Amino acid sequence: MLRVDRRSIQNFDWVFLGLVLMLVACGTVNLISATAAGVEGGMSDIVRRQMAAMAGGAAVMLVVAFVDYRHVERFAMAIFAVTLVLLVLTLAVGVVTRGAQAWLFQGRFQPSELAKIGLVVALARYFHRNPPRSMTGLRQLVPPLVLVALPVGLILLQRDMGVALLTLLVALTYLPLLHIPLRAWSGVAVLAMAGLAALWSFGLKAYQQQRILDFLDPSRDPLSSGYQAMQSRIAIGSGGLLGTGWQQGTQTQLRFLPTQHTDFVFSVLAEEWGFVGSTLVLTLYFIMLLWGLWIARSSKDGFGAMLAVGLVGTLFWPAAINIAMVLGLAPVIGVPMPLFSYGGSALLSAAIALGLLLNVSMRRYVF
Amino acid sequence: MIGGALGDGRLGAGGESPSELRIGLIAVLIVAFFLIFMLRLFQLQILEGADLASRSQSNSVRSVRLEAPRGDIVDREGRVLATTRPAFRVQVIPNDVRAPELTYPVLAELLGLDHEKLLQKVGRPRGRRRFQPVEIEGDISHEQRARVETHRYALSGVVTDILPRRHYVEGERAAHLLGTIGEIDPQELASDEFDGYRSGEIIGKFGLEARFESHLRGKVGGQNIVVDVAGREIEVIHEVLPVPGGRLVLTLDLDLQRAAEQALTSSDPEQPDPMGAVVAIDPRNGDVLALVSRPAYDPNDFAGGIDTATWNALRGDEWKPLRNRAVSGQYPPGSTYKAIVALAGLVEGVVDPEEEVSCPGHYRLGRRTYRCWKRGGHGKVNLERALVGSCDVYFYQLGVALGVDTIATYATRLGLGRVSGIALQAEQPGLIPTMEWKKEARGEPWIKGETVSVAIGQGYDLVTPLQLAVAYAALANGRTLYRPRLLQRLETWDGKFVREEPPSQGVSLELDPDAIESIRRGLTAVVNDRHGTGGRARLPDVLVAGKTGTSQVVSLDVVKSFEEDEIPVRFRDHAIFAAFAPAVAPEIAVAVLVEHAGGGGGAVAAPIARQLLARYFEKKKERGEEITPVLPSDAESAVEDRRDDGD
Repeated sequence: MLRVDRRSIQNFDWVFLGLVLMLVACGTVNLISATAAGVEGGMSDIVRRQMAAMAGGAAVMLVVAFVDYRHVERFAMAIFAVTLVLLVLTLAVGVVTRGAQAWLFQGRFQPSELAKIGLVVALARYFHRNPPRSMTGLRQLVPPLVLVALPVGLILLQRDMGVALLTLLVALTYLPLLHIPLRAWSGVAVLAMAGLAALWSFGLKAYQQQRILDFLDPSRDPLSSGYQAMQSRIAIGSGGLLGTGWQQGTQTQLRFLPTQHTDFVFSVLAEEWGFVGSTLVLTLYFIMLLWGLWIARSSKDGFGAMLAVGLVGTLFWPAAINIAMVLGLAPVIGVPMPLFSYGGSALLSAAIALGLLLNVSMRRYVF
Repeated sequence: MIGGALGDGRLGAGGESPSELRIGLIAVLIVAFFLIFMLRLFQLQILEGADLASRSQSNSVRSVRLEAPRGDIVDREGRVLATTRPAFRVQVIPNDVRAPELTYPVLAELLGLDHEKLLQKVGRPRGRRRFQPVEIEGDISHEQRARVETHRYALSGVVTDILPRRHYVEGERAAHLLGTIGEIDPQELASDEFDGYRSGEIIGKFGLEARFESHLRGKVGGQNIVVDVAGREIEVIHEVLPVPGGRLVLTLDLDLQRAAEQALTSSDPEQPDPMGAVVAIDPRNGDVLALVSRPAYDPNDFAGGIDTATWNALRGDEWKPLRNRAVSGQYPPGSTYKAIVALAGLVEGVVDPEEEVSCPGHYRLGRRTYRCWKRGGHGKVNLERALVGSCDVYFYQLGVALGVDTIATYATRLGLGRVSGIALQAEQPGLIPTMEWKKEARGEPWIKGETVSVAIGQGYDLVTPLQLAVAYAALANGRTLYRPRLLQRLETWDGKFVREEPPSQGVSLELDPDAIESIRRGLTAVVNDRHGTGGRARLPDVLVAGKTGTSQVVSLDVVKSFEEDEIPVRFRDHAIFAAFAPAVAPEIAVAVLVEHAGGGGGAVAAPIARQLLARYFEKKKERGEEITPVLPSDAESAVEDRRDDGD
């Protein structure tokens, strides 16, 4: 099973790997600066821990890349089930320990990160066996909807609105591929969205909205999120065209951004490297995503293609939400930026996703 | 090839190859996002860049916490015991002080502080600490505040604000009940109980403040304020108003609490106040009407963060003023325990109320002789006489006949030897010994002679004043043991009802009514008979029933080595009195314990109970309610004795 075909090696996707390594390098350099304030010389513990996680992530990525992904298809439902069990476990244990300390220990590993991958694997298997074109009615959408509802529901029970939304969006990546009456879909979707938006802005008073948000995410602090959003805009703006220079951002180095090494890591980049630097990094990131889609398109089987599409989703949506939030285009919901934010679980899930993409890519000519 | 083993023949099952998928649509979506981000970055960094950059240098957003006032604690009639008042605080933001050589001396002058000390307080913060306000004074007077406000022009970087501060209206009043507040410590911060708290926050540390922390706390709010270089507020960009904490409505009656505390205050200012505890309970439902512990402390000292000197003085005090003696103090119940031994004897049928025992002043068991407190003996006594004269010999015999385990059964049924479950911390269980207990705790078998001491409330017996009040409340109503209730209901800050603390359902005692009646008669005689030891608790218009007690602190041998007047305070006996009134259909049960009183329960503790009971019935009269008439048939004998007394 672990025998690796010679042709796979020959077809190893060096371009994709190169893109990933460049982004990881940018992320690390940026994280060093984001956590540098108050650290005399050398690196902060946060960076050290993140680097250890990167070493682990690299190993995971390589292993994942070289185990034929069709094994993944065979065990898709088992993988999915395991991630669900992990979610249930967090829920069970999480009820007992909700305090600050619990977050420290629990925070080492967030099963919801793996759940995204598990969901993608399960959906890829389903859509491979029931190709979009063969779908004739809405009834065939019921099984994938159930697949999506399971992890999203469990994450909602954890009261983690941000990640639940994210998981849902990852699943929605498949939507453009489906051939179900698009007009009907968009009609329903537009109506639902409009209805919800109208209800939210006209039907609910400010304090009611507040209450709903607080209910969905009790750790949310509206004041501090407003503060962060404001400070983030100031930081980004003061970057200007060329930026203030590495470790020179006044907003960053004075720690005006409370979560600058996690959720607001991109504003550090934007302040210190300016429009040029942040544009460059964004471009690299989006090229990586498009390359992922190309991997999907050139895959030789349906599962590989579906898998790659979903994996691109797991890398696209958190980045999109995070950057939208940092740029003040979306409300502040704590979603980390892949490869840039500090956090071991997110890094692990990104490593798995990238490994699987490499996997699909290097077997594009194998069969 | 691997594919051969794996291929399940479904490749392209739907006749759709990956190249036919509409992956392009996804690419379009992704690129759209990319373009939006680019435009936004362009807008923020290039178009608005200069503006925002200048804002980062000149203006800054400051996040200000708006503390929520802690909820009030009120008595059963809504009279406030603890509330929150505004306190004016002066802070300095080092970065914003533009003329330190002017600002600091002026500020020191205005606040009456030493210039050097003020500079020390501010220190020389660097980096982001320069932007953090340093507190100079936490609670300045109105005059000081007015002075600071009028000199604002010279004081850039000085910020005044108003903080809610805990205020205990009557100082020491009910201090142990209310408890203390203080800054949250790192351990608490790390525990699950304080999820969502920040360091530096004020929490309830003890008493009701701690027990109902979550209700009293309220919800902090805050403001994000744009300030200019001088630290002046330009605009409030976000605001979340704080929600004040909720109210606690107690079962306590402030009038009775005051009366009890006054009764425990020395009339001679030269003399130290007596130490001890007083608990008053409504025997009809277990409501706590008064709960006093002395010596006390002023919880206001804790409100603004207690200073080290005061804290050390309180901590180091030999008599432990922080301790709530009413629930944490464990004392031998002394003769007040005799009522319970008597009850056990009657219910078990070991003794008949009229049966007479001869007391020659001592009791012999095996080779040892046990003395009665009255050297000459009580002569022939029945149960009532034995209670009235507090005859030890009678109870030595009765105790030995019952056995320690039977006594313990009744004591436990009346709530002794276990925590009552009152809503206060650090409640102690006391100790009611059994044979099994001794074997487990001491690894030795029970000695019969120990039963002799236990029968008169000495030896291993330990109770808290609260337990004693609970037990006498149960004897008073004769039917039910109630869990003492301190909290009546929780309300929101604006008086909206939140939750009623249901009155204790109680545990049915199922005791023989005749036995209860005999005890009631005996205890009534203790107070009202001319030979009774509890005569000083007598009231003119209400029949009081009670029992005196004296509990030894050290063995007689130790005390013997001193002259009567020179016995060190810590070796002196405790004086105890437990009572209820009216004797028939009781409405209030009281336990009084005076530590190291230097006098017996009848001399020292009974008058204190009397003052409290007098206040209760006085209040009742003020309300225009009728007081239960004194002359029920079963109290006749006692009344006759009183008449004799008067002649």
